[in-house]
Order: sequence, then structure tokens, then C-alpha cells
Amino acid sequence: MKINRFWSWLFFGVGALYFVLPLISTAEFSLKMRRGAYTPDAYWTVLADPRFQQTFTYSVLMALATIAFGVLLVVPTAYWVRLKLPRWRPVLEFITLLPLIIPPIVIVFGYIRLYNTSSWLPLTGSAMGTNLLLMFGYVILSLPYMYRAVDTGLRAIDVATLTEAAQSLGAGWVTILTRVILPNVAVAVLSGAFITFAIVIGEFVMAALLNRPSFGPYMQLLGANRAYEPAALAVIAFAITWGCMALIQFVSKFAPRAPGAQH
Amino acid sequence: MPEPFLSIQHVRKSFGATTVVQDFNLDVEAGEFISFLGPSGCGKTTVLRMVAGFEEPSGGRIVIGGKDVTGLKPNQRNIGMVFQAYALFPNLTVAQNIGFGLKVAGVARAEIDSRVAEMLDIIKLPASEFGARYPYQLSGGQQQRIALARALAPRPKVLLLDEPLSALDAKVRVSLREEIRSIQKKLGITTIFVTHDQEEALSISDRIVVMYGGKAEQVGTAFEIYNRPATRFVAGFVGTLNVLEGRLGNAGKVQVGSGEIVLREEPADVRSGDIVSLALRPEAIALGRRAGDDAVLAGEIADVHFLGSVIRVRVRAGDSIVSLDTFNNPATPPPRIGDKVEISFSSGDVMLLN
Ligand SMILES: Nc1ncnc2c1ncn2[C@@H]1O[C@H](COP(=O)(O)OP(=O)(O)OP(=O)(O)O)[C@@H](O)[C@H]1O
Ligand SMILES: [Mg+2]
Repeated sequence: MKINRFWSWLFFGVGALYFVLPLISTAEFSLKMRRGAYTPDAYWTVLADPRFQQTFTYSVLMALATIAFGVLLVVPTAYWVRLKLPRWRPVLEFITLLPLIIPPIVIVFGYIRLYNTSSWLPLTGSAMGTNLLLMFGYVILSLPYMYRAVDTGLRAIDVATLTEAAQSLGAGWVTILTRVILPNVAVAVLSGAFITFAIVIGEFVMAALLNRPSFGPYMQLLGANRAYEPAALAVIAFAITWGCMALIQFVSKFAPRAPGAQH
Repeated sequence: MPEPFLSIQHVRKSFGATTVVQDFNLDVEAGEFISFLGPSGCGKTTVLRMVAGFEEPSGGRIVIGGKDVTGLKPNQRNIGMVFQAYALFPNLTVAQNIGFGLKVAGVARAEIDSRVAEMLDIIKLPASEFGARYPYQLSGGQQQRIALARALAPRPKVLLLDEPLSALDAKVRVSLREEIRSIQKKLGITTIFVTHDQEEALSISDRIVVMYGGKAEQVGTAFEIYNRPATRFVAGFVGTLNVLEGRLGNAGKVQVGSGEIVLREEPADVRSGDIVSLALRPEAIALGRRAGDDAVLAGEIADVHFLGSVIRVRVRAGDSIVSLDTFNNPATPPPRIGDKVEISFSSGDVMLLN
């Protein structure tokens, strides 16, 4: 018993060190910009850089657009498949897993081939079109997480009976989706949204190849040219991601309770 | 019979190759309370869902208030539905749940509020205490009452309930069924109530549809169903039934063990010498020779169950075991196992099964 405890703590400790040590040394390094003293100078330099502000704003906007489009795509689809095509769920699950298997670089080269300026839909011809393309790419990247989050949320409610109850009360599909289904999977959607946010903020490959001014390529650029600032930036990026994770934990406390379920 | 309010005409339903409902016909008067009674899988829910519009009939038509609704979507039918699993919207309060149908219909806020208060009053849950609660803060019985109020709030033409009491415990089940019936009477709403509990069906319905294998075996009042079952299935499914095997002789005489019963009517499609099954309700049989009974059999007490006001006695007569009920009488002790007894009944109460 005691020995068991010891080993589990040991493994936990080793694992934690593996993750935490690089982070601590990065954080420590990021504070050493001024010789001989720990100062947050590197952070001020980064935050004051107009390119940081521009790329960060761009990525946040892209993340919000990705989340909005992803929710519009995933919630009705997952709902419909659960309700009407339950036999197709494994197929859909497989499709939503593909982005984990297919590297983003393949997707983005596919995009560039399909939507280049001499194609029938020249999306890459304009900045707005390329933004749209990048957002579609981000939706694909976040699909595995978004779909799983929403599907788990749907599993917690009796989709079929709630739908029928709403229908018998006169509700049409839009009403059912917006007033019955979405509010009951809101927490699941939020956790999917935070993961999407974290993914979009840190994404590099797609943004770089489509040549959009986003946060990922900026981090890379800074990393190649500076010493202390990239470390500060890495800590900031980590903080954002962890903040998202903390928010997921926080909102899941407000998941709708099934009647009679104990929490 | 006056013009029916709800008419189900030659309705069929198949899922792929399996036919689940075949040639189902039923006319329901306005304000009538109809129960569908039958064993699991006999198609009760399927018929109900076709009336609600959740399932499309493979054939036949459904008319409500003179209008053919067969092709209408569920949200165009103005039908109230109560489910076994309550199906309250977990994200809405009690008041919002009840008001949902009215809100969807675009009814003004003030009118919704007053209708919700009215409904809470009808189901006897004080608005001040329950209006702002969420479904998870309610007991099963309370949830089902809210579900009933929600279904009734938009003043539907027809109320459909699919085993609404099955998930509740026995006490609540009985009190809530009385309450459903009294609300239904007060509002005068045409109602179909699905159940597989015969006591439930017998006690609250105007008429009962006994279903078996996707067909309506018999439609009638509780009294008719119980006392004059139309088919062998109905006779066996509703209530307790004693079946006596006997050999048919001449002139409607049936030899049962060492005794003899003379049937009122000579059976049509059996010949003398055939084995026939005779059915009797427990309450039609008396222990001893009852005045006026024309059939008497000798037997031996096999079992005695003291149930309180009633004592259920099982008597072995020939090859058959017969259950009968006697009232408890403090002055006379109940019979003992092994006692030799006689049982009597009127041959008019005998049902011939075949
Ligand atoms: N969607 C469906 N696809 C295929 N078969 C179905 C479907 N729905 C119902 N059935 C079949 O139809 C038959 C009747 O089902 P139904 O649900 O109407 O029975 P029920 O009388 O309500 O039974 P219970 O008392 O168990 O609720 C069953 O054999 C069932 O398996
Ligand atoms: Mg059923």
C-alpha cells in the first residue's frame, strides 16, 4: 500500500518535472533581459511591439470566427446524426478524426491547389478570401475537439424525446435547435470553443503558408531574431492556453443537470 | 354514436418488412378518455406516435375535428403529448417549460404568465414555490405533472399520454392517475392514454382498446372488456381467468372431472367428444352451493391466500385449479388446505374459449 503510493508519486513527480522544468527555465530566462537582475523587460518589449498587437488581434478575430462557424457546422450536424442517422455516427466520428491524422500542411497545399488565382474559385486572390480559407482550415483543425465536445454534451440529454416534446408544442427545427438543443449543450460548446481558441492562437503552418499576419508566424519570426522576447512570448502563449483550459474546467461546473442526477 | 372527434381509419404501419400495426380503426368522441392496453411490443406507442405525427402511417388516415391530419407535421397538429420520461426541458424553469408552447405560438407575455399560473393551479403546484424551479429540483411525480401542464397549456385538440406513470412509484402512480382523469374531465379534452397496466386502464377510462399483435382486439368499456371479452386473448389478458378443460358431450353438456356443466348455448364450431376450454372469473365462483347457481363441481382446497378484506382460495377440481375470492368474515375462519369442498357458479357466466 505504502510502497504503491511511493511509486505513484514518483512517476507523477517525474512526469511533472518533464513538463514543468522547461517551462520554469523558459520563464526564468525570459526575466533575464537586463543583466544581473530579474525584470519583466522582455514582456514589455513584446507587448509594446505593434506587430504583436496586430497579429494577436488578427488571431483572436480568426479564433472567434472559427468558433462561430464551427458551432454552426457541428451542433446541427451532430444533433441531426444523433436524431435521424444514428447508424452514421461511427462514420462521422471517423471523419472528424481525420484532421488528427492528415497533417495541416497537406490540407493547406490542397487548398492552395484548389483555390489558387487561376482556379474556378480564386479564394487566395484576395486577403478576405484567404482569411476565409484560413478560417475553414482552422475549423477543420478544431473539428475533432469540437465534435467530440458537442457529441458528449448531446449524450447527456435525451435528444429524441426533447425534440418530440418541442415539436408537439409547435416548435420548428430552428426553434428546437436554438431554444432546446443549443442551451443544453452550451457548456460542451464552450469547452470546444476554448480548445479551438487555443489551437487557433498557436497555429503556424496554415497561416504561414497562406501568408496571413497571424500570431503563430509572428512567434516564429521573433524566435528566429531575438533572444529573450521569444521566451516571454512562449510564456504568454502558455498562459493563454492554460487560461482556456481553466475556463473549460470552470464552465463545466455549470453543465445542465439531468433531472434526478446527483452532482 | 355522434360524429367522432378523432378518427383513426384503416391505419397500418410497417418498419421494413415487419408489420407493426395492421388495419387499426378507432373512433373517439370529443372529450372521451380512451386507454390503449396491451402487452409490450403490441404497437400501442406506434399508433399513438402516428396520431402525434412522429411516425408516418404506411396506410390509412387520421382525422381530427373533421380535418385530415395524416400528412401534417407534428408541430402543425396541435396535439399535447406526455412522455414516460417526462422530457421537461432541463434548461428552462417550470414556468418557462409550461409556457414553451405558448411562446412558440407567439402569445403575448402577459397572457403566457396568466396561463402558466392557471395551469400550475390546475395541477396543484403553487406558482410561488415551483414556478422558478428547474426540472432537476423536482420529484418524478412533480415533473410529470409539469409535463402534463406543459402539454395542456396551448389548449391542444387531443392529449396523448404514453405510459406517463410507469416511472413512478406505486402510491404516486395511483394518485396521479386519478388526478389526470379529473383534470381531463374538467377540461373536457379528448385523450388517449397508453398503458400496459390493466388496473390503470380499467379504473380511469371511458373506453379501452385492448391491443395484441398490432391489432385492436376489442374496444369497449371496462365493464364490457372484463365481463364480455371478445377474444381469448382479451379474456386472458384482462383480469384473472380460470380455465377449465372438459369434454363436450351432447346438448351442450361438458364433463369437467367428475362433474358436469350444461352450457347455455351450444358451441357452434366444436363437435361432441372434443376437448373445450371454459373460462370463469374468480368472482363468478362461490365456495359451497350458492342459491341460484346451476353448476356445481366437487374439489379440494389447494391454497389459501389471506389478502385482507378478500381471501383468495384455490380449489383443485378434476385436472384444473380454480381461483375464487370470498370476503373475509371475522366470525368464520378461512378454509384449510386439503378440505373437501364444492364450488358453484352460474352457467351463464361461463365463457367458452376457442
Ligand atoms: N423505429 C422502429 N423500427 C423498427 N421497429 C420498430 C420501431 N419502432 C417500433 N418498432 C417495433 O414495433 C413493435 C411495436 O412497438 P411499440 O413501441 O408500438 O410497442 P408498445 O406496445 O408501445 O410496447 P411497450 O409496452 O413495450 O412500450 C415492436 O415490436 C417494436 O420492436
Ligand atoms: Mg410503448
